Amino acid sequence: MTGYVLRRLLQSAAVLLGVSVLVFAIMQLVPGDPVRAALGTRATPETYAALRERSGLDDPVLVQYLDWITSALRGDLGVSFRSGETVSSLIVERLPATLSLAVGAIVVALLIAVPLGTLSALRPRSPVDWFSTLTSQAGLSIPDFWMGIMFILIFAGTLGWFPSAGYTPLLEDPVGWAHHLVLPAITAGVSSGSILTRFVRSSVLEAMGQDHVRTARAKGMRARDVLRWHILRNALVPFVTVGGVQLAYLLSGVVIVEFVFAWPGLGQLAFQAVLDRDYPVLQGAVLLFALVFLVVNLVVDLLYARLDPRISYGSGR
Amino acid sequence: MTRTRRQRVRTRLAAVLSAAVLAGACSGGEDVDVGGDGGGGDGGGGDGGSTGGTLIAAISAQPDQFDPHKTQAYASFQVLENVYDTLVVPDAEGQFQPSLATGWETSEDGLTWTFTLREGVTFHDGSEFDSADVVYSYNRIIDQELANAFRFASVESVEAPDPRTVVINLTEPSPALLANIGGFKGMSIIPEGAADQFDLATEAVGTGPFTFESSGAGGVTLAAYDGYWGDAPTVDGVEFQYISEPTAALTALRSGDIHWTDNVPPQDVESLQDDDQVEVGVTPSVDYWYLAMNQAREPFDNRDFRRGVAYGIDREAVTEAAKFGAATVNQTAIPQDSFWYHEYAPFEHDPQRAQDLVAGAAASTPQPMGLMVTDEYPETVQAAQIIASNLAEVGIKVNIEQESFNTWLARQADGDFDAFMLGWLGNLDPFGFYHAQHVCEGSSNYQQYCNPKVDDLLTRAASETDREARKALYDQAAELIVDDVSYLYLYNPDVVQAWAPGLEGYEIRADKAINFESVRLPE
Repeated sequence: MTGYVLRRLLQSAAVLLGVSVLVFAIMQLVPGDPVRAALGTRATPETYAALRERSGLDDPVLVQYLDWITSALRGDLGVSFRSGETVSSLIVERLPATLSLAVGAIVVALLIAVPLGTLSALRPRSPVDWFSTLTSQAGLSIPDFWMGIMFILIFAGTLGWFPSAGYTPLLEDPVGWAHHLVLPAITAGVSSGSILTRFVRSSVLEAMGQDHVRTARAKGMRARDVLRWHILRNALVPFVTVGGVQLAYLLSGVVIVEFVFAWPGLGQLAFQAVLDRDYPVLQGAVLLFALVFLVVNLVVDLLYARLDPRISYGSGR
Repeated sequence: MTRTRRQRVRTRLAAVLSAAVLAGACSGGEDVDVGGDGGGGDGGGGDGGSTGGTLIAAISAQPDQFDPHKTQAYASFQVLENVYDTLVVPDAEGQFQPSLATGWETSEDGLTWTFTLREGVTFHDGSEFDSADVVYSYNRIIDQELANAFRFASVESVEAPDPRTVVINLTEPSPALLANIGGFKGMSIIPEGAADQFDLATEAVGTGPFTFESSGAGGVTLAAYDGYWGDAPTVDGVEFQYISEPTAALTALRSGDIHWTDNVPPQDVESLQDDDQVEVGVTPSVDYWYLAMNQAREPFDNRDFRRGVAYGIDREAVTEAAKFGAATVNQTAIPQDSFWYHEYAPFEHDPQRAQDLVAGAAASTPQPMGLMVTDEYPETVQAAQIIASNLAEVGIKVNIEQESFNTWLARQADGDFDAFMLGWLGNLDPFGFYHAQHVCEGSSNYQQYCNPKVDDLLTRAASETDREARKALYDQAAELIVDDVSYLYLYNPDVVQAWAPGLEGYEIRADKAINFESVRLPE
C-alpha cells in the first residue's frame, strides 16, 4: 500500500513537470506579452523595453523556464507581472473562496444526485424516473451564466432572500458566508448534480441486476437492507470515480459562476492571468489544478480498496 | 537618466493628458495663487457633521495593482483617486485647480514653472509632505521609464530649492504641463523613499481623503483619513467590491447591498431611468472611439479610398449599435462640452459617393479589409457589424477579426492589420487628443499617417502659450486630420453610473474620476 502511494506520488511529480513545460511552451506560442497587457496603447518604446527588461522577459525562453522551475522547487512560485504580488499569496488568498464554493457545490450535487438517481433506478420508467431524466437533462443544458443571472434576478432581486454577489470569509462571519454561498453553490452544483444523477441511476440499476442482490431478495432480506448493503455499496465505486472528477473540476475554479457572482476564486485568477499573459500566475494556478486532479484521483483509487475489498494495492501485486 | 536618453524620449513625444485652463494660468509670469483651502474637492463636503457609515461601491473590473506610477488600469485609478493627490487637479470642467500645490507661476519664456506647495499636509504614514517628495515621485517615473514617463518628455529637471517650492524646468514651453502632472492619479505624489519602504503594489501611502486599509481578492477597504488637509470625508470609509456581471451589480444596488456602481450596460440606461430604486447619472465623457486604417498598406494608403470609407459609414447607426444611444456622434476627437471642441463634420453618409471613391482607388472591388476589434471592448465588436454591412454596400468586404486585447495590442504594435477600431480615454488637453496619434513619428501613430502640414501645426500648438492661438492651431490640424482620414472619428460615449436614491454629494464627471470625498450616504 505505502509502496503504491509512493509510486503514485512519483508519477504525479513527473506529470506536474510535464504540465509546467506544456503551459510554458503554450504561453510562448500565443501572441501578445504581459508587458503590452500592462502598458496598453500609450507606452513609448523606451517604457516597453524597460518593463520587459525588469520582468526578465528578455532572457532566452529556456533560461526563463529554468529560473522559474528552480524557484518553484524551492516553493517560490514567483511574482505576478500584473499585480506585483507573489503568486503563492494570490493563490492562498483565493483558496478559501474556491474551497467554500467547491464544497458547497458538491453538497448540492449530492443532495440532488443521490436521492433522485436512486429513486429513478428503483422505479425505472415511472413518473419519478421521467422527472429525474428531465431535470438532469435540463440541469446539463441550461448554461451556468444564464442560470446564475436568473437566480440573481429572482432570489436576490425579486424575493431578496440572498445577496446577489460577493463573498464573506467563513471565519469572519459564518452566517454571511453561508448566505453568500447559497446561490453560487446551487448554480455550480446543478450541472455536477445532473451528471451525477445519471451515474447514480445507472450504477444502481446495474447493481440491482446482479446475482447477489437477487439472492439477498430471495432469502427474504428486507428491501431497505438490500438497498443499503448490497445495492448502494456496490454502486458506490463508479459513483466515487465520477464524483471525484466533479470535485476536482469544482476545485479548479468555476470561472463562469465566479464571474457572475463576483466570487473571488481561483477560476477568475487563472482566467485573468490568461488574458494578461501573466505567466507566473498562470503557471502557479495550472500546477495547482493539476495537483488537485492528481490528489483527487489518488484518493479515489485508495477509496476503491475501502469500498470494494476485492481491490487491493498490496505491494506484491 | 542620461541626457541622450532624455532627448530620445523628447523627440518621440507621446500622448498626454492635458489642461484646459493653461493659457490663463501659464502665460508669461502670471501668478495664479488661488489660495489655501479645499482645492481638491468641489466644496460639497457639507456642514462638518459626519453622518458616517461606509459607502459600498461596486466597480466592474479588478485593479491590477495599486502603485499609481505603474498601473495603467482604470479600475486601479477608481480606488487611487480617493487615496492619493497630485500637485494640481482638474475640476469637473477640466480646469486645473490647486491641490498639493496652492499656486504656480511660469517664467516669461515659459520654460520654468514654479509651484508653491501646501503647508500642513501629511502622508498616511504620518510623515510630512514637502518638495523632496515631489522631486522623488517625478524622478521615480522619469528614471525608471515607468508607464507615464512620456508625460515628462519636455521636462529637463525637477528641483526643490526649499521645502515649500518645486521648480520644473522645461526644454520647450509646454502648455500641457498641468494636465501632464495633474490630469489623473498616475502622477501622484508618494513619500520620499516610499518605493523602498512600502510594497506599493499592495499598499498605498498618499495624502488623499482616504487611507488604504486592506485589499483582497474580492475588494478594497478605505478609511477616512483624520489628518486630511481638505474637508474631512463625510463617510467613515469606502468599500470597493469587484462585480463584473452587470445584473449582479444592479440587483445589489436595488436591494441596498451597495450604494454606487459604474457597471451599467448602455442598453439598460433607458429602463433604469424609470426605476425609482436607482438613480442613474449620464454625462458626456472625454473619451472618443475611432477607426484607423493602415496607411502602410494598399489601398488604405490612398486618401480617396479612406474618404470613401468615411462617406460609406453611417455613424448614427454605428453609435446606436455600439452604445444604444448613450453616446454622441462626432467627426473630430474632442467632445462638444470642451473648450477645445471644433465643429467640423464634412462627411455625411453617402453610399454613392463612397462607392465611386472606393472604386476609383481600389484595384478591384469588392476590396477586402480586415477590421481588428477586441472583446475587451464589446462596443468595437458591435460597431464592426454595422461598419461591415455599411461598407459591403460600397464595394468593401470587411472581415471582422475579433482578438483578445493582448493579441490585438501585439498586432497593432507590429503594424499587422488593415484597419482597427478602438478608443482613447481620459484626455483633457488637445495635445493628448491629437499629438502622438498624428505627428509622423508619433508614438501612438500606429496607422502611419504623415502629413508635414499637420506635423507643423501640432508641433507649434504643443508649445503655443496663448490659449486662443493654440486652439486655432489645433482646429486647423483637426480639419486636416479629419479630411485625410488619419483617424475616422465615430463618437464620444457617455459616462453612465448608478447610485442609491438619496446618496448626496457625488459628482459624475466627464473624465470618469470617481471621488467619494464629499459623498453622504442615504438616511
